[in-house]
Amino acid sequence: METPTSTSERLLATVLPEDGQIPAFVHTDPDVYRLEHQRLWNRVWLFVAHESEIPSPGDFVVRDMGERNVIVARGDDGEIRVFLNSCRHRGMRLAVEDEGSGPSWRCSYHGFTFRNNGTFLGAPYQRAAYVEGLDRDSLRLLEATSDSYRGMVFATWNPHPEPLTDFLGGMAWYLDILIGRAEFEVVGAPQRWVVPTAWKLPAENFASDAYHTATTHAFLAKLGLVSGVDFGRLGYHVDVGQGHGLGIGIQDEGPWYPQELRPEYERNLTPDQLALMDRIKNFHGNVFPNLSFLIPNVVEIAGHRVTGMTVRLWQPIGPDSIQAWSWHLVEKGAPQWWKELGRKTYVQTFGSSGMFEQDDTENWEAQTRNSSATLNFEEPVMLHYQMGLGRQPLSGFPGPGTVYDGKFSEAAARSFYRRWLDLVVGDK
Amino acid sequence: MSTSTELPPVEAAPAAAAVPVPLETRVAAQDFLIEEAHLLDQRRFPEWYALFTDDVVYVAPVRNTRRVGNSGVVEEIGHFDENKASLGLRVRKLGTDVGWAEDPPSITRRFITNVKVEWGDHPDELRVRSYLLLFRSRGDRGQYDLLSAERNDVLRSDASGFRIARRHVLLDQVSLGTKNLAIFL
Ligand code: FES
Ligand SMILES: [Fe+2]
Repeated sequence: METPTSTSERLLATVLPEDGQIPAFVHTDPDVYRLEHQRLWNRVWLFVAHESEIPSPGDFVVRDMGERNVIVARGDDGEIRVFLNSCRHRGMRLAVEDEGSGPSWRCSYHGFTFRNNGTFLGAPYQRAAYVEGLDRDSLRLLEATSDSYRGMVFATWNPHPEPLTDFLGGMAWYLDILIGRAEFEVVGAPQRWVVPTAWKLPAENFASDAYHTATTHAFLAKLGLVSGVDFGRLGYHVDVGQGHGLGIGIQDEGPWYPQELRPEYERNLTPDQLALMDRIKNFHGNVFPNLSFLIPNVVEIAGHRVTGMTVRLWQPIGPDSIQAWSWHLVEKGAPQWWKELGRKTYVQTFGSSGMFEQDDTENWEAQTRNSSATLNFEEPVMLHYQMGLGRQPLSGFPGPGTVYDGKFSEAAARSFYRRWLDLVVGDK
Repeated sequence: MSTSTELPPVEAAPAAAAVPVPLETRVAAQDFLIEEAHLLDQRRFPEWYALFTDDVVYVAPVRNTRRVGNSGVVEEIGHFDENKASLGLRVRKLGTDVGWAEDPPSITRRFITNVKVEWGDHPDELRVRSYLLLFRSRGDRGQYDLLSAERNDVLRSDASGFRIARRHVLLDQVSLGTKNLAIFL
């Protein structure tokens, strides 16, 4: 095992985002993975849930932040809090189910009980067992700092976090369009599945890679569902800043969403945001580090133009493996046809069985295996991230970030690795 | 949740259905599922696709870890949410030369067991429950995935035999241990 310092030095010498050069080992190196746990997952804001998953006091869901298992709970007072899912007595898991509801958790090891606001409630035979007394305050559940943006709950273990809105930076403007345009709700529960990939590969793909669609998802053109092979090119590539990135596919056939929702959109969006939304054909991105989102291509089904959106986490469970969490959300006030066709569109195109995503997982797995194979090379194997290097950005685009005309670029991937490098080799 | 340690009373057996499903029909239903599995394992997808009715509903709900007394089956969303058109699109994708997730193909073997056949809601329909064990290997290093599921089908019969009018697949994992479902269940 290398020391963190020597790993950092190796990264500084070889990870060169501004030159469009990233060494393959960063994806699967166990020392890098360890460094990420020390310096990345502990320090950034991480998405943990959508508020609609815990609508009532007492509701909770169990999630992961990096490899830390946490409870996201709405207390009896209506406040959302995020706790380490670990009993303060001896570290047994407190919430044993993926979701539930109740005023408290009772540990199934020795029976310590904690209220859903995190306070210690009591222990069995307390007077007999703890004759010397128990310091209740020191037994409070360990709590992460949490905050919400447009219904999305984030949390961080950083003891001195920047405000969530600062962390999101320019991405907030785009998240407004994605999920802040109306009141959204999670449909059912997230799909989960295990993919043998390093977590950064899907993250950079969603942030930056519209280019792959013409080849990886070539079945679209083969089946005549789109015309031409460069269907992923028209639109914008956005290097949002702070490691966030996205791509916006553009169409000019008019808005596709249900007119009933228009007033709600108008209340929640600025005219600029609304105008951009009216032109969206597809919309993909990544909130640094591992929260991706997508509005798949708008398609015509049963006389309606629909799409079904998803947000997902690439949850690391090892240097070369993730658990994918994929939520489908829809506007709460939408008409039934929009909800139903949108759900089908999502499930059929993305998620565990999605006709697009199934080909993506094939790429990520093979890249991961090849990355592992390079670990013992004397010279690092450099990968190519140079598309759009030095290209002039657009001026006058209404949204934040550095925006490029046309979706083919790797600028957002370069920024992703810059932010990532700054964090993992940082001096804290 | 009951706090009693007494065992609940055994429910009285329901009145036996007026007419039991004849043995011949039960065997025919089981043969149908066995043949269907064989078509999939042989990658004869267009023939497989022809086994579905035009109004087919093909779903596979998501599951959750819940405590006893809660179902843990999330019917609101699934790993599949298909109709005839979308199954057709999946089959057509497999027929292109760019269906990368299954080209080169997985080697699959579907084991169909525990088949139970009952009368359906209509005279021409059967309700068939079966267990599925799906072995899937891809590439080298001897790796494979195993998927286990309970399937509840509605088989509709016409002059040409059975068609699948509904398939509900309950996968036995809350987090799937296969990288994608580019295969049929
Ligand atoms: S570990 Fe929870 S009560 Fe002992
Ligand atoms: Fe893709």
